[in-house]
Amino acid sequence: MGHTSLEKIIALQKKTSRIRNLCILAHVDHGKTTLADSLVASNGIISSRLAGKLRYLDSREDEQIRGITMKSSAISLQYTTGGNEYLINLIDSPGHVDFSSEVSTAVRLCDGAIVVVDAIEGVCPQTQVVLRQAWLENIRPVLVINKIDRLIVELKLTSQEAFTHLQKILEQVNAVTGSLFTSKVLEERAEKDAEAQSSCTENSSADQVYDWSAGLEETDDSDLYFSPDRGNVVFASAIDGWGFSIHQFAEMYSQKMGIRSSVLLKTLWGDFYLNAKAKKIMKGAQSKGKKPLFVQLVLDNIWNMYDAVVTRRDKEKVEKMVTSLGLKVMSRDLRHSDPKVLLSAICSQWLPVSRAVLSMVCEKLPCPAEISAERVEKLMSVGARRFDSLPEKTQELKKAFLDCSADETAPVIIFVSKMFAVDSKALPQNKQRPLTQEEIAQRRELARQRHAERQAANQSAESPGSADAGGTSTPAGPARGAVTDALCAQTEALSVKAAVEEENKEHFVAFARVYSGVVRKGQKVFVLGPKYDPSLALRALPEGCSVADVLPSIPHMACCTVDSLYLLMGRELEELDEVPSGNVLGIGGMEEFILKSATISTSPACPPFTPLNFEATPIVRVAVEPKHPSEMPKLVRGMRLLNQADPCAEVLIQETGEHVLVTAGEVHLQRCLDDLRERFAKIEISASEPIIPFRETVIRPPKMDMVNEDLGKQQKVAVIHQVKEEQMKNPEGVQVDSTGLVTLTTPNKMATVGVRAIPLPEEVTHLLEDNVELIRTMEQFSLFAWEDKTLDINQKILENIQDFKVKLESNLQGHKWREAVERIWAFGPRRCGPNILLNNIEGYRRPSVWQCLEREKETERAEIRDFDNSIVSGFQLATLSGPMCEEPLMGVCFSVETWHMKISTPLAQQDSVDEDSQPAEPSNDDQSESSDVHETSSNRSRSRVGAAGGSVDCYGPFSGQLIAAMKEACRFAFQAKPQRLMAAMYTCEIMATAEVLGRMYAVLSKREGRVLQEEMKEGTDMFIIKAVLPVAESFGFADEIRKRTSGLASPQLVFSHWEVISSDPFWVPTTEEEYLHFGEKADSTNQTLKYMNAVRRRKGLYVEEKIVEHAEKQRTLSKNK
Amino acid sequence: MSIFTPTNQIRLTNVAVVRMKKGGKRFEIACYKNKVMSWRSGAEKDLDEVLQTNTVFVNVSKGQVAKKDDLSSAFSTDDVTEVCKQILAKGELQVSDKERQSQLEQMFRDIATIVAEKCVNPETKRPYTVILIERAMKDIHFSVKANKSTKQQALEVIKQLKQSIQIQRAHMRLRFVLPAKDGKRLKQKLRPLIKTVENEEFDDQLEMVCLIDPGCFRDIDELIRCETKGKGTLEVLSLKDVEEGDEKLE
Repeated sequence: MGHTSLEKIIALQKKTSRIRNLCILAHVDHGKTTLADSLVASNGIISSRLAGKLRYLDSREDEQIRGITMKSSAISLQYTTGGNEYLINLIDSPGHVDFSSEVSTAVRLCDGAIVVVDAIEGVCPQTQVVLRQAWLENIRPVLVINKIDRLIVELKLTSQEAFTHLQKILEQVNAVTGSLFTSKVLEERAEKDAEAQSSCTENSSADQVYDWSAGLEETDDSDLYFSPDRGNVVFASAIDGWGFSIHQFAEMYSQKMGIRSSVLLKTLWGDFYLNAKAKKIMKGAQSKGKKPLFVQLVLDNIWNMYDAVVTRRDKEKVEKMVTSLGLKVMSRDLRHSDPKVLLSAICSQWLPVSRAVLSMVCEKLPCPAEISAERVEKLMSVGARRFDSLPEKTQELKKAFLDCSADETAPVIIFVSKMFAVDSKALPQNKQRPLTQEEIAQRRELARQRHAERQAANQSAESPGSADAGGTSTPAGPARGAVTDALCAQTEALSVKAAVEEENKEHFVAFARVYSGVVRKGQKVFVLGPKYDPSLALRALPEGCSVADVLPSIPHMACCTVDSLYLLMGRELEELDEVPSGNVLGIGGMEEFILKSATISTSPACPPFTPLNFEATPIVRVAVEPKHPSEMPKLVRGMRLLNQADPCAEVLIQETGEHVLVTAGEVHLQRCLDDLRERFAKIEISASEPIIPFRETVIRPPKMDMVNEDLGKQQKVAVIHQVKEEQMKNPEGVQVDSTGLVTLTTPNKMATVGVRAIPLPEEVTHLLEDNVELIRTMEQFSLFAWEDKTLDINQKILENIQDFKVKLESNLQGHKWREAVERIWAFGPRRCGPNILLNNIEGYRRPSVWQCLEREKETERAEIRDFDNSIVSGFQLATLSGPMCEEPLMGVCFSVETWHMKISTPLAQQDSVDEDSQPAEPSNDDQSESSDVHETSSNRSRSRVGAAGGSVDCYGPFSGQLIAAMKEACRFAFQAKPQRLMAAMYTCEIMATAEVLGRMYAVLSKREGRVLQEEMKEGTDMFIIKAVLPVAESFGFADEIRKRTSGLASPQLVFSHWEVISSDPFWVPTTEEEYLHFGEKADSTNQTLKYMNAVRRRKGLYVEEKIVEHAEKQRTLSKNK
Repeated sequence: MSIFTPTNQIRLTNVAVVRMKKGGKRFEIACYKNKVMSWRSGAEKDLDEVLQTNTVFVNVSKGQVAKKDDLSSAFSTDDVTEVCKQILAKGELQVSDKERQSQLEQMFRDIATIVAEKCVNPETKRPYTVILIERAMKDIHFSVKANKSTKQQALEVIKQLKQSIQIQRAHMRLRFVLPAKDGKRLKQKLRPLIKTVENEEFDDQLEMVCLIDPGCFRDIDELIRCETKGKGTLEVLSLKDVEEGDEKLE
């Protein structure tokens, strides 16, 4: 068969009933791309000899190297059967679990799917997934059982055994389909029950649902299943190029044996045997020990063939077979030393896989016009919205869908399922085309002219002796010509180089399908984002408007012109002028308007299509950085492009400045990084584990020790190795009493503050976290009040604040917290965090944080008030970075119990003197450094110049000293209590089958995860497990769990909350029991300490660990020996 | 291997000598390498892991033990362990390779952390990560000086980094309220110190919100304090003007 011409395909595109949109789905390595190769070869695009080896649709380099498909790619093929020509838009999809998002994009555009199953491996996890995806998208699958040759050559099964094996595989596949069906029925029943309860007499839509689902229960589900006698199963070996359906053999034998083909069709698969004597086909082959018909008539033939060609290499027998089959085999193939070549030469003529598969596809799969109403409704109703609730105009569009007409009048509806990047070189506009006759002639003329000129020049320059050689035979002429040619080429190359720079820009092509109407080049269309709401737009737009009109801007809607249309031919694109409905196509020039997926329509009433069902959500997070820091902008641009090109990748910049890339799995990650390196950013990058945040907190002193013994009764044993007495690291001026009250004096001995740290109840912390906005408003109010201005807060927020206050009061009960809520001084860090500063100073009154609730103002101002802000600033600084590893605090209350000031006289006059007497700062560096000290110390502090606050002594400004003192006091108070780290936790939902539960639990417990609940999903054998897992342990978790469970469990991680890690980072065995249990050094690793030290090391803080553990054992080879 | 191997030469391997002069006499103790700093920082708590032997020497390499009288006269105690501890705490020693290396590494990190905290990418107003800063510091071949404070060195690094990557000190956001009569005059003086003025109101008093380079803060503070004689107020709205929250790239 020759190369299918573009014109033919264009002609075929217009016949909607002759179009088949289908995709090939399977588990990884079951032979999708190989099968696609054979189908491509049938169109003469690649040589059939190379089919299966070339993997034509794997156009990426890493796809070829790794041997797995990583993206879905489409190709249009043409097939003729029974006098009818069909256009087949084939989409090859990846099988690896990481790329299941690509499968989703492929499935959405198709009406049918070829599910490929390996004859040896049977149903694998991804097979189940793809069957489910096909089911969810309501597309009809057909089955190809591939790699049958392996049953013969590798497993060396007899044809009888192979038959039972194939039966088993078929049963497995049908079991999966069956469970999908039952789970749907159960779901619907549950839904129906719920609906019946809630709305007995509601509108008719409920009734409709009721009727419909009831009908579904009654309907026979047998048409869902795969069975060879239905003609939806093909047995194949794509690598050897053969495949057959029962039909082919039935027809073959009906001629030979004179049995009606319809009878054969029914009996060829199953427990039937041929009674040669009675010339009858009888049931019960197995019980009677006879060969089933399928074995006898079909498999035996193939087995014989393999036996003759591959195993025994019996030349004569082969020749006999070839002639009996009426085939012609080239002598080159016959003589080839590799029997596989001969085999595929014979088989591809005898039972070509492309014929078997394509004819099945053409017969069994629906054409675009046969789209079911159910599927249309599902596509059009976004999220939980019912189809009936859509605007009327939108509902009318359903008809357009069902018609799938390519009329001029039909509205254009296109769905773009993904964007893919294409090198500008690959675009047809920039591609070199074979020259037409005229062009060639023109060039020839040009060349001749040039030649003549050169000749003339030669003649005048060279000696007259060579003048006789005026013809073209002069040897010098062409040589010189070559030189000038080379020159020309050089200058051309230079100009090309400049052009290449421009062309290197990535072009995005939208991978799309036309559902209705005809799309033309240059047509104006609406591009509707996934969140577009047609009812909004319909209200905003005038009746009957079109794209050409000037329109008000509507969210998630844009107008644009269709730049170019492409026919997707694997790695190549062909330019088209128009595409009628029902076809898969590529649209260029949409990168400005479409991020990942979109709906394109000429009617504003068109709803956006339901988002794609992604089986895998992105969970593997890495931080990406350029190798050379100066290339940051390139990286950011590259990541933007990557985000657009990949349906499943997410990119974000975190508050810490990290650029995080979130992908579906390790292989996906690898591909994304490769893409970034080579295509989008074109720089060297490195990916690393992202920074893990922690929080610090204090808890009540524990009553139990590590071995669950009561602490009170035991006496502490002196720990032998801790000879060095616990020296108080506190510098001078700090006193800590036994109750945890820390008193600290400023360096100039002017002020003393006493602070105590108290753990907040968990509920309070949550409350504070949830009400950040309210606290911020309150803060603003007090700020304005300070400046004698008022800020108007609306009533609703005031109520919310009141509510918040009441809740706080109810949660802070007990004598310790008496009047605590009234006495709240500030929140921190950043003035709105989950920590509280309490004012427990006798006789110190200040406006409360709740003053926005009380309308009257207190005008009383104590002297001490001027330093109020310094105390708050100190508190803010202390809560922003705790003493354990400089991470923010959480759930800590600092109560200021004493505050004495010695100064009260204004020192303004002295100020300037002091200032001058200070030694001049030597360099700018020093200056800015000292101002840094100031900077930290004066966080939001008001330098009340002229008041006492301005006093400057040798320790710097007094307000600054007070802030530093307050900060230090808080830190010491914090350290006086039992300190704990808080870890960010993910909630983790895992779907797993029963047999891998054990291994999944092992992974969870290894990573400090905790299972919260476990339940079985109704109607399936899947378990749903809910667990929590520290973020710190999540790196590589998804990959590990997939590996350990062979891909049968897939986790999803979502950040949920902060949780106190119960173990003490500073813990060493102290009691007798602990000593017995853990030994003197507590050699088991302390997880919290590990976390803490990792953070400290990352930040360059001091980590208390020995450089050498055992002095005696260190390597001491000196250098000069 | 050479035929002649000196057997009378004793090399001290794995020995770090800590010396101290007290009472006009020199005392030495023999310690293990890479351990003395750990002891001083408190990470090592077992004295036996630090001391080779519980003896005070006059000269370790010659093996001359200090006399008891000298010890008691210099340290006013007989307890050798006590003397060893004193020498360990205050004596001078050659810092060994590993100790120095870990110290420099730690300082390097510390400097990078300080730089990352103080600076932003001016394009995105977001901080750089520490790892990136570290890499940039290595790129410009920055070497840590052990005797200079990390903060000082960090400020130097920022200057040098500006040549290779897009980096600048995060701006401080200030607000000051100046009395009307000083307002105009002061504004002229403040102008060169201010990077950008975000908001300016001038009715009965001058109120300004502006971004400044943190290095100029002290100058501005002084200027306002001296010029207005205490009538003007200065308030730091935020220390670092950075973007908050995560941003999705789209």
